Amino acid sequence: MPAPMRLANGLLTRAIRTAAIESAPTQRLLRNTSQCRAYTQAQRPRCEQSMRSMITSQNHFSTSAILEKQKTMGQLRQRNTTGPFSWKAALLFVLTGAGMMLYFRVEKARLERKRMTEMSKGVGKPKVGGPFVLKDLEGKEFTDEQLKGKYSFVYFGFTHCPDICPDELDKMAEIIEMVKDSTKDEKLFQPVFITCDPVRDTPEVLRDYLAEFHTGIVGLTGTYEQIKNVCKQYRVYFSTPKDVKPGEDYLVDHSIYFYLMDPDGDFVECIGRQDTPKSAASVILEHINDWKREGKPLKTE
Amino acid sequence: MGWLPWSSGDSSKTTASDGGRIAPDRTSRARCWEGRDLFFACLDKNDILDGIKEDGKARQKCAKEVAEFEEACSKSWVKYFKEKRVMEYNRDKTIERIQKEDADKVKELKSNGWVSK
Repeated sequence: MPAPMRLANGLLTRAIRTAAIESAPTQRLLRNTSQCRAYTQAQRPRCEQSMRSMITSQNHFSTSAILEKQKTMGQLRQRNTTGPFSWKAALLFVLTGAGMMLYFRVEKARLERKRMTEMSKGVGKPKVGGPFVLKDLEGKEFTDEQLKGKYSFVYFGFTHCPDICPDELDKMAEIIEMVKDSTKDEKLFQPVFITCDPVRDTPEVLRDYLAEFHTGIVGLTGTYEQIKNVCKQYRVYFSTPKDVKPGEDYLVDHSIYFYLMDPDGDFVECIGRQDTPKSAASVILEHINDWKREGKPLKTE
Repeated sequence: MGWLPWSSGDSSKTTASDGGRIAPDRTSRARCWEGRDLFFACLDKNDILDGIKEDGKARQKCAKEVAEFEEACSKSWVKYFKEKRVMEYNRDKTIERIQKEDADKVKELKSNGWVSK
């Protein structure tokens, strides 16, 4: 301890001691002090000690159990010089601080996500996504209602896509596996592939195509008008030629984002080319966990 | 020679029973990409960028690669990949140019006594 500090501490100790004597002005104590004066030099320490213990035993409002146990002068002096600051207190202080900081950071991130989600919910119609009627791989009708209650992960593409869609679908398969591993409940997450090319992509073509990536993906197709409508709902750029001759060879321009939709069918997040399967899966899991933490309903059958 | 390798000969293979058109599977996609990479490597070697504008030259210098590329991929894919090559080249050039301009600007500012934070 540096000298000025020690001096300050000494002064503080003295002040506390004086205050303690003055603040407990019982007659007995004063008598005790005057008695002390009568003692010889050699006896004084013992007298002082008995006096100290008397003070401490009377200061019920401020003493702790530890103080009462400290009987010798050495122990008392030690406590007086360090005051209430011990390594334990310092550790507690640092740990509490770190804990609070961590908590606030996590909460802040969660609230930020929540705010973003709420924003896209808006008052009326959601900005991205909405009602649709399409056909699944069995040729049966499939509507947006069937996606509610789960987090859905929607991708638009077409089977004759040269390179981007296959890459993205491989990524989708990895994401599906990661989410499945982490949630231990694959049913609350529903990947969906909607074709932008309904003329060529019939249920049978889609089924064979998607089977190469992941069997958990729901493939959807429909009439030209139905697909045009769903693309509009999801704000997907749609450029499929309407009247194609049989056997005609063409490509379709389309947006290349994954749309994460919450169990209410509202848009939550966009996953793009820049995301890795890992980053995408962690974003999705964050949203799923937020939803669960808020105790909102999820369909798991 | 059909423009789809999976269509050559047997036409029933291109059409699904419900009227859709069967898409290239993983194997044929891989074959197409391989053909593309070999063709582009040949273009690089002969200093050709645009396989559409310099079609004649490309066919002359890389006859074998062109044939294999067009055999393995559909026409629309061939066109798409050729266009993409030019687009990516220009994109990379632009990025390079911007980075160089940035670096020059920083150098100029630093010589005028500016300190970056």
